[in-house]
Amino acid sequence: MIGGLVMKKKFDTPITGTRRKNDYVISTKDIVKSFYTGTPNELEILHGMTFNVPRGQFVSIVGQSGSGKSTLMNIIGALDRPTSGEYFLDGTDVSRATDKELSAIRNKQIGFVFQTFNLIARTSALKNIELPMLYSGVPPKERRERARQLLETVEMSDRAGHMPNELSGGQKQRIAIARAMANDPDIILADEPTGALDSKTGRMVMDLFHKLHREQGKTIVLITHNNELAAETDRIITISDGNIISDSAESTDSKSLDSKSADSEGQVNEKEAAE
Amino acid sequence: MGFFENISVALAGLKSNKMRAFLTMLGIIIGISSVIAISTLGSIMNASVMDIFNSQGGSNLVGFQIRMKQDRARDYYYSEDLITIDMINDVGERFADDIDAVALYSNSSSGSMLLRHKEYDVSLNGVNPGYIKQSMSKVVAGRWISDKDCEQNRSTCVISDKMAKKVFGSERGAIGKNISVTLRDGRMLDFTVVGVYQEQLSAMMQAMVNMMGEDWSGDTYIPYSVMNREIDGAVDDTFFYFYINTKSGVDATTFCEKVKSYMNNSYYRENDAVEIYYQTAESQMAMMDEVMGILQLAISVIAGISLLVGGIGVMNIMLVSVTERTREIGVRKAMGAPNSAIRMQFIVESIIICLIGGVIGILLGIALGNLAGLIVGTMAPPSLNSIILAVGFSMAIGIFFGYYPANRAAKLDPIEALRYE
Repeated sequence: MIGGLVMKKKFDTPITGTRRKNDYVISTKDIVKSFYTGTPNELEILHGMTFNVPRGQFVSIVGQSGSGKSTLMNIIGALDRPTSGEYFLDGTDVSRATDKELSAIRNKQIGFVFQTFNLIARTSALKNIELPMLYSGVPPKERRERARQLLETVEMSDRAGHMPNELSGGQKQRIAIARAMANDPDIILADEPTGALDSKTGRMVMDLFHKLHREQGKTIVLITHNNELAAETDRIITISDGNIISDSAESTDSKSLDSKSADSEGQVNEKEAAE
Repeated sequence: MGFFENISVALAGLKSNKMRAFLTMLGIIIGISSVIAISTLGSIMNASVMDIFNSQGGSNLVGFQIRMKQDRARDYYYSEDLITIDMINDVGERFADDIDAVALYSNSSSGSMLLRHKEYDVSLNGVNPGYIKQSMSKVVAGRWISDKDCEQNRSTCVISDKMAKKVFGSERGAIGKNISVTLRDGRMLDFTVVGVYQEQLSAMMQAMVNMMGEDWSGDTYIPYSVMNREIDGAVDDTFFYFYINTKSGVDATTFCEKVKSYMNNSYYRENDAVEIYYQTAESQMAMMDEVMGILQLAISVIAGISLLVGGIGVMNIMLVSVTERTREIGVRKAMGAPNSAIRMQFIVESIIICLIGGVIGILLGIALGNLAGLIVGTMAPPSLNSIILAVGFSMAIGIFFGYYPANRAAKLDPIEALRYE
């Protein structure tokens, strides 16, 4: 399908002066998330995270379980609001959005891909892909057509009428990816998308992400604890105990986005790309 | 999400769990079907009562009868309490302008008749000339009982066409023939057939006749005076009741009030226990309605309880459905479904359960009502109002009992819902 990885940035933005917020699809500043647990002290999961993701970047967020990456994912995915700090998604202030606005943001700006696929049972592949469009008011005919196109993109056209329980894990995940693409979101947020798949089908799913990234310029946020998968992406943000402990873009950002020579992760990627 | 998507999602959910859906609907089905059955039966009873009235001269027919005064009831009537033929003649003359005919019916007596070694059942009924006007029967050969027959105690009789054919071969052939009727007590009476009538029965009567079987060959009518004197052994003609066919255009109730107060003042003033009262088609209909009303109320209470229980069942199953589909709700929310869409989805599902239950209930109710109607001999479509009410009511149950579970689904935290196992 996709032989190697072409490490080419599609959205290289020259760093001249200060960037406007919209230049970043994701822009966070001092994100803190704490939960009130009943004890006098609140439980703080995220201790102030600041990072930006430019449009078209394939970024992975890596961390062990309990590191706070799920909490971070919920906030990036507009499923939750930060306790304090700012989060702009393509210029939309998510941290101050109402529940209804959050729904609209999730609907139009975010495409979720889950570890356990989360297709709706007893609903055909095609109908599953149509789901986000149901909530954005796309007319039925257009919806159907778009869903068919997406099926083609994920090479599943022959499975349009199949129910989720008639599909293999890899097929389910491809349908889920097509569904995530339905409303042409700003970002695709993939939470351990290969976690429930064997290595071969996992590879196919990763290749599909690369294809979407390369051919359609999608911004993809991959949440994983698998360093090998993370190494395939443009940038790795590693978090631990609610803090960012390393960000492969930090070094490049300070020099040039094109310069990869000093980037150890970049070298890994190029090595893989050459294979 | 559009309304139709909600419906197809709801139907898909129900299809996957048919047994559960059916059991949930059962309460609604029982409730709605009993309401529809009783209202169908109500219209059948009404139609059948109307049928009887129409066959008896319709709303022009009124009846007068003696009854005990409410606060001074005796156990039995004395002979002086009865209505005499003189009283009836007096009323007939006094109110002649309003009266078309007076119908008298004294008594009936059964016996049998032996002819050419064959025995036939005979039912004798004492009537006057006016009696035929309040029935839908018509004379097809010869004549009806006349005034002279009654005044002179002539042993004449009028038989049904069915009997004429059975016994004498034809209607005409029966005229002038003599029949000997042996009464139950062994006495034998001779009658001359003067006429043959064709019976027109109301549907209800027809059904009763059908149940009696082939042997039934209709009533035989004789003069009331013959019945009273020859058979009952009375010295004069007295009656418990009589009918009047008013002229068209006469208001039945006003007429009856006049006749009632006249008779009570003239003949029953001295009587401390008995009085005259009347029945019109309307008053009988009202009585019928009252009985139906009580029956309807009783069934409605049962139906109401059944619907309440059914509604709680729907709520219960919707709560189960919400719990079962927590993850689906989480996914839908992650895909951008606002709370309102989730709420709507589950309310629509609840409405659909109740509506399907309601429709099954309506069909079952119509079937049950008409099954009962089959016995009475009249079929009737259920009233449109009750169907609209039933549909509306089942939708209301769906909304009312579906709202709480739907709201619970709508308010689920998407993160928690997605994590739900």
